[in-house]
Formats: sequence, C-alpha cells, structure tokens
Amino acid sequence: MKIPRLLQAVLVLAGVYFGFVLVFDVILDAVIPSSLLAMYMFFATAGVFMVFTYDEEQTRELVAPIKALVEDPSKRPWRNIVFAILPLAAGAGTYVQMQPSLEAPLELRTIHPAPPSTAKIYGKRVNLLKLENPFRKIEKEDPDRFRELVGEGAAVYIRNCQFCHGDKLDGRGPYADALNPTPLNFQDVGTIAQLQESYLFWRITTGGPGLPKEAAPWISSMPVWQDFLKEDEVWKVILFLYDYTGHRPRSWEHE
Amino acid sequence: MTYRIAVAALLYAMFLSGPALAQSGDVDRGEAIYQTRCLQCHGDEGDGLGPAAERLNPPPRDFTLGLYKFITSAFDADLPNDGDIIRMIRDGMPGTAMPGWGDLLSEQDILDVTAFIKVFAELEGAPEGQIDHGAQVPTSPESIAAGDRLFHASERCSECHGVQGKGDAVKKLKNDNGDRTWPRNLTKPWTFRASNGVKDIFARITAGIPTTQMPSFADPKSKKRLSIEERWHVANYVASLAKTDKVVRPENTVIQAARLAGALPGDPDDGAWAQAPPSTFFMLPQLVGRERFFTTANDTVSVRALYNDTAIALHLEWDDRTRSLPGDAAAKAIADEELYEDAFAVQFPVTIPRGMEKPYFLMGDAAKPVNLWRWSSGTTDKAGSIKLIDAQGIAAQEVRESHGLTALASYKDGTWRLVMTRPRATGTPDRDLQFEEGRFIPIAFFAWDGSNSEAGTQHAMTTWYWLLLKPSTGAQPIIGAVIAVFLIGGLLAWWGRSAGRTPS
Repeated sequence: MKIPRLLQAVLVLAGVYFGFVLVFDVILDAVIPSSLLAMYMFFATAGVFMVFTYDEEQTRELVAPIKALVEDPSKRPWRNIVFAILPLAAGAGTYVQMQPSLEAPLELRTIHPAPPSTAKIYGKRVNLLKLENPFRKIEKEDPDRFRELVGEGAAVYIRNCQFCHGDKLDGRGPYADALNPTPLNFQDVGTIAQLQESYLFWRITTGGPGLPKEAAPWISSMPVWQDFLKEDEVWKVILFLYDYTGHRPRSWEHE
Repeated sequence: MTYRIAVAALLYAMFLSGPALAQSGDVDRGEAIYQTRCLQCHGDEGDGLGPAAERLNPPPRDFTLGLYKFITSAFDADLPNDGDIIRMIRDGMPGTAMPGWGDLLSEQDILDVTAFIKVFAELEGAPEGQIDHGAQVPTSPESIAAGDRLFHASERCSECHGVQGKGDAVKKLKNDNGDRTWPRNLTKPWTFRASNGVKDIFARITAGIPTTQMPSFADPKSKKRLSIEERWHVANYVASLAKTDKVVRPENTVIQAARLAGALPGDPDDGAWAQAPPSTFFMLPQLVGRERFFTTANDTVSVRALYNDTAIALHLEWDDRTRSLPGDAAAKAIADEELYEDAFAVQFPVTIPRGMEKPYFLMGDAAKPVNLWRWSSGTTDKAGSIKLIDAQGIAAQEVRESHGLTALASYKDGTWRLVMTRPRATGTPDRDLQFEEGRFIPIAFFAWDGSNSEAGTQHAMTTWYWLLLKPSTGAQPIIGAVIAVFLIGGLLAWWGRSAGRTPS
C-alpha cells in the first residue's frame, strides 16, 4: 500500500521531531531548549517541503488531499470540522506565545575552545604547541618509576579533583550536581581522548578564568590550579587521568 | 537467525545468573582491584587514611576495625552480611564521596573486593543473627501518626534527630574513632547513605548504625526498645518526612518572583510566603578560590521571591543543625574549635547583562563587579545585621552603605528562615542592581555555618541561577488570541466559499 505523500511528509517531520527529543532528552539526558527545537524544526520543515515539491507532479500529489478536502462536496462535514479547529488552534497558540517566557536564557558555550599558541603559566610564557609532558617518556624508559608517578598523580587527583570530577573520573563527583556547567567526564571518548597533554596542562593550570570568551569563563567553576598545585603535580595528574581511563593522549607523532 | 537469537538469549541468561552462581570472591583479584580503585581514600593499609581522607566528610571507612555502619545482620552480631558490603560498593553512598561502582566493576569484581577488604579485620564466616523484619506494616496515615508519637515520646528519636527531624542535635556526637558525627537530617532523602526506602530505614532502626551513637531499638536491654510493629510505624513516619517541596529539581534554574498588589511580607514566618513556590538549589563547598574549604555543613538552599511596585523581597530557607551564637555557652559547647556567626549572602551583578556575559560566578572580577547582600546572625552582644558589599573577586570586597536593604531572620527546629528586602530602584544605578520586570537576573548564594568553622572564604556556595520578576501581561494575550481566531477563521471561510464556486 502506498502512503499518501502528505502523510509521508507529516510522518517524516514527526520522525525528526521525536528524533531530536529522543537524542537530547533521553539519550543525552539534557532537555532540548524549545527555541533550539523550533529552529531545528524550521529547517527540517523547509527541507521536507523542498524535497516533496521537487517537480510539479509531486507537488500536485502533495496538495491533492488538501484540495480534495476543501473542494469535494462529499467531504464537507470533515472540512467544517477542520475549519473550526484550525482557528481555535491558532488562537490557543497565540495565547501561549504571548505569555512571558519563563525559560532560562540559552547559554551556548564551546566546551573545548581552540587553545592559544602561547599562555602565561607559572609566571612564564609557554608555547603550547611545543609543550610536552616531561614524564611521558618515562613510561617506556622505566615502567616502575612511571607507576610511581601515576600513583602520585592519583593522590593529587583524589585530594583536589574528585569533589567534582568523581572517584571514577566520570564527572559525577559528590558536588557535580551543584555545578552548572557540569564537570567533564574523562571516561567519555569525547574528552581527554581527543586532546593533547599540553591542552590539559593549559586547561588545568589556567582554569575557568583562563578560557576564551566563547567558552564563557565566568560560569566555569574550574579553579586556576597553578594557584594550588606545583607544575610537576599537574603533569602527574595528567598521567593519572590517561592511565586510569585507558585513553591515550593525542600527539603530533603518527604512530 | 532464530538460532542466533536463541544463543544470544542463552548467553545473556548465563550472564545474568552468573553472579548468583559465584559464591565467593577471590582475595588476590580483590587486592589488585583495591589497589587501583579504593586505596586513594581507604588507604594502603585499609585504615581509611588514604591521601583524600582529611578532606572528606564523612571520612572513608577504616576496614581494619571490621565494623560497618549499614548492616542487616542483628545488632549484636559481630559481622555484617557480605551483601551489606557488596551493596555499598555496588550502589555507593549518597551524600559521601563513595560512588557506586556497579557500572565500572562486574559483580565478580565486587565479590573479590569484598573478600579482600574483609581480610583487613580478619572477618570470616557469616554473622550469627539477622534482623527480624516480621510482617511489614504498609504505610498509612494511622501508621505514620503512630510512628510520629513513638519518634517524639520521651524524645526517643527527637533527642538527636530534632523535633522536625532536621538532625538539630543538642549534643556533640562522636563516633568510635573520635570523629565528629551528625544525626541525619531526615528531611533530606538524598543524604541517606543506604537509601531512604522504608525497608532500609527499618534496618537502621533495628540494627542501629554501629560505630555511631545511633542505637539499636531492637536491643531488649534498651529503655527505648520498640517492637517490630512499632519500628515499622517509625520507619513509615521517617519515610514520610522526606516528602517535601524543598527538593532540588535540576531543570528548575529560574526563581519566579510573583507580583503582589500590597505590602511585601517582611517576616520570614509570614503565611504570605506560602504563595511563592520554593526553588531549591544544591550548594557545594568553596573549592575554587583561596582559601578553600572541603567539609561544609549546608548542602541546599530554598529560595522564594515576591515583589511589588517599589520593592523586592527574597525568602531564603536552609537547614542548619546549630544556631551559631558567639558568646553563648551552649552554642560554644556544640561548635567546632571556633565558633563564628551563621551568615548568608545573595549575589547579583551590578547591572543585568545584555548578552551572555556575566560577572565571574565567585564574587565577580575587576571588569564586572557584583553586589553581595550579606546577612550575619549576630552574637550575644549584637543583633543580626545585613551589609551591602561591592565585590570584585573573593579577595576584593568593600562594605558600602546600603540603600534601604533590610533583613529579618528566624531560627527554629534546625531551620533558618531569612527575608531580605530592598527597593527595586536606587539612586545609584551604576553601583546597584535595578530590578526590572521580565528580565532574567543572575543570582547566586553563599552560606556560612559558624559552628562548622565556616568564615571568610570558607563557606558553601552555588553557581549562578536566575531570578525573574514575572511581569503581569494584562489582557494582551487574550486580545491576541481573539484576533488570531478571527483572522484564520476568516481566511478559511473565504477559501471554502471560493473553492465551493469553482467547478472542479
């Protein structure tokens, strides 16, 4: 059985709508802001309209049921019902639209902004492009010493970072629920696994206030860790983050 | 295809039944897991003295004692059930730094770790007695009322947990290790270490909480002993205390201030506040700026707001087990080494941001200063007072004369209620926030529990939320709706008529 073109279009749009709701509200567990959903649906509707009116034949097929409803005398009772419902729906929609918005303003921020090429860290200008973890080479040279360094990094982490990022490095520390934006989940393949160690060093040492404007430094609760930790402690924490999660830092070398 | 599904289903079934088949854990495997997952808090020796210990409240468990707090074995048994330990590892303990490991460790891993941590205290075999659940009394208004009576009769429970169940102890409690402990605030279900399900509450009442001063109410030697049925009543009552409108709803980030025609209620206990629904936010310790603090006492604040033509009033409510009154002997006796005033502050930007950019959430910065309305509870020599502070960061604060900012507070049964009132407009819009209707105004909160050594930069806090003075819309939406109905209706009628005339 062939599904009428109009119903097809409606089904596609419904699919897109529930797709967004599924991805955001259910899978990502972050309710999609209505303004964002409206924007997405606008583009989806425009796209569907363009596809379904590709040539005249298709256009005619699309509007045929509407034409029939209005013009076919045998469908008059249905037409009257539709013509009564539409104005009422428009009125209700207008009423809701004109209520003042009680939804918090959207705050779109870049989570991993592009790093500057240099930054002032521990009182000296550092070239982030060339910066490397001084302990990384020990991983191959002296595995036992490397385990010790990871252990020291773990102790620094547990004394300072777990409150927000959690014992399991999953961003679900005991105070994670009190924070907005929420702490980063290092277990996720989309965070430290995508970044270089120098990037982590920059993010940790300069914290929220060190972010560029597109990342909304005023709301990030990441402390400026160069005020609290020594340089080698930061590098050890970075060793620990990769070791515990099993991720590898990104590097310029092609392995 | 069907064959494949059958095999998959079989494998899945085996996977599910696997843990049930596995009877015991492997100590050596458990030790290896312990070394990577547990040692940082619980320590190399299992003594709870890992590097994190001093910054955690409650402190990590000392396994060498072999004593566990949340047990289902009898109060006089010398062992917990393995299941009690397994559950703590798998599900974690809300309100502590102990996460649930069930997503990272398999059931077998957890059995192995359990076997290993029992070695620290040489715990062997199974406990001799189990708690007797008898016949569970289902919850009902009658059962809750009976539990209410038993809870308060001769201060059986209220002696420590307080008249309203807020845990506002009048005694300084310590555990067997000499660490300070606090009776549970029973109105905060998210802090119950082993869930606030009725069965779990019954288990705590029956077995007590070993190492703490929570006794067993099944102990026949106890003067406060309760029968099984009575314990179910108390459990039902305690479970009912958790049903409050002051719970955090993560999607709620906007405090909606309703408009009043007349005067604003200045008294925090005024019934008029009931018409403003509370918004509750989690607080965290000040971990961001110097000097940090790790073990705050307050974890939530509930906020209400009302406004009229000329003024705005904020109603702030937070649970505090102690009224910190410097100079008072009783307050001194229950406090930590130092006793300061309790305090609370509300933070606003000086101007409502036009774009996204707000002042730095922790007391602003040089480019974007904030206003702090900081109330302190007073001492035996001076009454409570409120100050207006201009802040450009946690270390750059300056007190300024307030423009009609007033505060009134009350403390009762473990809860502070505080109303702050200010005119909506002041003569100095470059220094004071002007409260406009319909604008989203950033707002943040800070709290100090003076009996918990909280003072200066050491306090609890929130990040930015929003305050909205809900504008009155008048008749506009109705008029808009009517116009829309006639417009669309007219167009459709015209279409219908012209279509009817066209021969198709």
